[in-house]
Amino acid sequence: MTDQTTGMGQTLLEERAGDAALESPNYDNEFDAIVVGAGLAGSAAALTLAKRGLEPLLVERGTYPGAKNVFGGVLYTPTIRELTDLDSAPLERYIAEKRFSMLSHDDETAISIKPGEWNREPHNDSFTVLRGDFDEWFAEQAVEAGATLVTETTVTGLIRENGGIVGIETDRPDGEIRAPYVVLAEGGNSLVSEGANLKATESRENIAVGVKEVLEFPENDEAIQDRFRLVGDAGVSYHYFGEGAVGEAYGGGFIYTNSDTVSVGVAYSLEDAATKHQTPEETLNLFKSHPAVAPLLRGARTVEYTAKTIPEGGAETMPDLVHDGAVLVGDTAGLVLNNGVHLEGTNMAVESGYHAADAIATAAERGLTSADALSSYADALENSFVVQNLERYGWLTDRVEEDRDLLFEQLPSAVADAGTEYFRMDRAPKEAHARAAKQRIFETLGGWTGAMKLAMRYRKLVR
Amino acid sequence: MTTVTWTIVVGVKQVPDADEVGIDPDTGRLDRASAPAVMNPPDRGALEAALSIKDVVDARVVAMTMGPPMATPVLEEAIAMGCDDAVLITDRAFAGSDTWPTSLTLARAAEQLGADIVLAGEETTDSSTGQVPPGIAAHNGWAQLTYVEAVEPRPEENRLVATRDVEGGHERVAADLPVVVAVAYGEFDPRPAPLHRKLYAENDFEPIEWTAEDLDIKDEVGLDVSPTSVGGMETVQPVERKGEVVETADDLAEQITEVYS
Ligand SMILES: Cc1cc2nc3c(=O)[nH]c(=O)nc-3n(C[C@H](O)[C@H](O)[C@H](O)COP(=O)(O)OP(=O)(O)OC[C@H]3O[C@@H](n4cnc5c(N)ncnc54)[C@H](O)[C@@H]3O)c2cc1C
Ligand SMILES: Cc1cc2nc3c(=O)[nH]c(=O)nc-3n(C[C@H](O)[C@H](O)[C@H](O)COP(=O)(O)OP(=O)(O)OC[C@H]3O[C@@H](n4cnc5c(N)ncnc54)[C@H](O)[C@@H]3O)c2cc1C
Repeated sequence: MTDQTTGMGQTLLEERAGDAALESPNYDNEFDAIVVGAGLAGSAAALTLAKRGLEPLLVERGTYPGAKNVFGGVLYTPTIRELTDLDSAPLERYIAEKRFSMLSHDDETAISIKPGEWNREPHNDSFTVLRGDFDEWFAEQAVEAGATLVTETTVTGLIRENGGIVGIETDRPDGEIRAPYVVLAEGGNSLVSEGANLKATESRENIAVGVKEVLEFPENDEAIQDRFRLVGDAGVSYHYFGEGAVGEAYGGGFIYTNSDTVSVGVAYSLEDAATKHQTPEETLNLFKSHPAVAPLLRGARTVEYTAKTIPEGGAETMPDLVHDGAVLVGDTAGLVLNNGVHLEGTNMAVESGYHAADAIATAAERGLTSADALSSYADALENSFVVQNLERYGWLTDRVEEDRDLLFEQLPSAVADAGTEYFRMDRAPKEAHARAAKQRIFETLGGWTGAMKLAMRYRKLVR
Repeated sequence: MTTVTWTIVVGVKQVPDADEVGIDPDTGRLDRASAPAVMNPPDRGALEAALSIKDVVDARVVAMTMGPPMATPVLEEAIAMGCDDAVLITDRAFAGSDTWPTSLTLARAAEQLGADIVLAGEETTDSSTGQVPPGIAAHNGWAQLTYVEAVEPRPEENRLVATRDVEGGHERVAADLPVVVAVAYGEFDPRPAPLHRKLYAENDFEPIEWTAEDLDIKDEVGLDVSPTSVGGMETVQPVERKGEVVETADDLAEQITEVYS
């Protein structure tokens, strides 16, 4: 700008001072929607809204999206892939092997699954990511599509008018801002939604506590590929159950490989953390020092430690998803599948953010904000894999809870002992070994009848 | 046209985030390139001091930075906090400027803006010379107050009273305007940006842009006129210290007497 000649500075300031926006900016109802939280669900919603031509405001409390996000590591990408181009995404490794392992206090019995197909695009849509990197990138995609991101701003409440939600309150001065729709994507610890009575406070049985460490291997660049037998960008997700994984609690442990680090963690019921006096640190340390786990992590150094809650109430405890002027998505809506076999929340967060935004865009075309006008979100989710999966596995949590002693303590030992018997090397004939092995399992299960009953109780798993 | 009592100009500089600056293990040099850029932390104190004056005196607060267009976010941050306007002083001609042309440039800009008070941080976290604020004062022949811990505006006298940190205590000094003030780090707790201002600053605000020519200093800036020359750089290796464990207090006393005698 060379049209300001010397001596014009003051005049220029006077001229610009007339600008009302500069003097007291006001963005009430300037945005079409406000999204609370730039996690996966929030950014998916903001991106979808922007792609539909709306201007959303994405509000994040961290210094950048992802700064505060704890997450064990495997991101499931079937929906994200539809929303944006994953080529530039900061993915760590694709999952080439899943391993399920039962741990007693010093035994391990495992099965490993390594389909060749997982080595080929799209790699079964399963990748390890570091959420600090990924969430920042994902929010950027929303901003590039037209969303506005504001960080270091914590939402403290919602503004209601005539019963409907018309905006948010934040921790900043002049901190209220209004918009026709509010998307609550604040994660599992959903203080804003609970404070506004959009959902009930979760009871302890319906929450799991997750702790995770990211470990690096100083001065050992080959540790990860050697110990986990990896080539190129291949990675693993190892899942552990039983006493050796989380002590007496109900839950499991995991190890995921990133590019140069591994994520190691445990997730178990908050109820157990409280009543069994198992602190997250102790539980994680016990898991890390299990004889089947420790060698994988030898010489590793902790670079990050994080703890967080995981909602796991399933379909029954799902809150109302739509309200006048507001919708709940992702962990805030309790959309996590956490049952031992699956720990999935990322795909559900993105799917729900997408459907919620789609419903808002449709309602906005008609100028409507009522819960009724937004109900297509609830319907779409009901018909998607999200609610169907939650319903399918709802029973499992209860069932497992009833059988926890058998499943997490007696069975892991029995299976390990049976293995020991079956492969015993001595001078007795193999038939005797097989009999002893069978015997050990049958004792634990309560004979043929017990085994049959157990099989019936869990038959839905493979149906 | 309305006129305000005072125009307060605040110098803010973009620096690499000190928390993220690593040391290259191979060369021993600071690796600044990979660290994200942030506002020089002491400059937030300078902004707070300026805004606290505006809280009690009819004033206009204008932020200025000399740097590449990439430095615009520090001006946005200043606007978000409450500044009324901001100037980006940018020109390829500035490349290689040391503290002399930098303070000349800022001095000319302050003059141009009609500054009654120029506020600055005590020093930057990247070059940390602390020479720029006194340099601005010297170029313009204005008063200067350094290591300032508190400010007390006296508009009726057209003076600014400041509490300065001096060795062994404090000093209260009154200066006639215009004055350049460098605030002591950590003495002014910066206020949080109001939500709507933050949104405006980050999304819609555009700073005034001035070049060397606008300030009529085209031939007085840049590498050629910078008197500083760097003789060389050296990485200091930490010295290995001798350590010894003694068993009893008497042994310790003995060792100490040995050293002292
Ligand atoms: C230990 C652990 C391991 C897991 N492992 C897996 C796994 O392997 N695979 C998988 O698919 N899922 C896993 N999950 C679940 C998965 O992390 C979640 O389901 C998913 O992150 C939910 O996304 P979200 O966007 O709903 O919430 P989040 O990712 O929690 O994002 C919420 C965002 O909102 C912000 N925020 C919160 N409150 C406010 C506020 N008041 N104002 C402004 N911003 C706010 C937060 O800073 C955050 O950025 C795991 C969870 C845990 C805890
Ligand atoms: C030996 C040496 C060689 C250098 N060589 C070069 C070079 O070749 N090329 C080059 O580009 N730089 C160079 N620099 C950096 C440049 O001289 C300084 O960054 C600049 O002059 C400001 O000095 P400072 O950071 O020490 O500021 P200080 O005097 O420590 O800053 C005090 C306060 O002055 C204000 N201030 C300082 N700089 C600015 C600014 N730019 N805009 C607005 N306000 C400001 C701020 O309020 C700040 O808190 C060199 C520095 C040194 C020490």
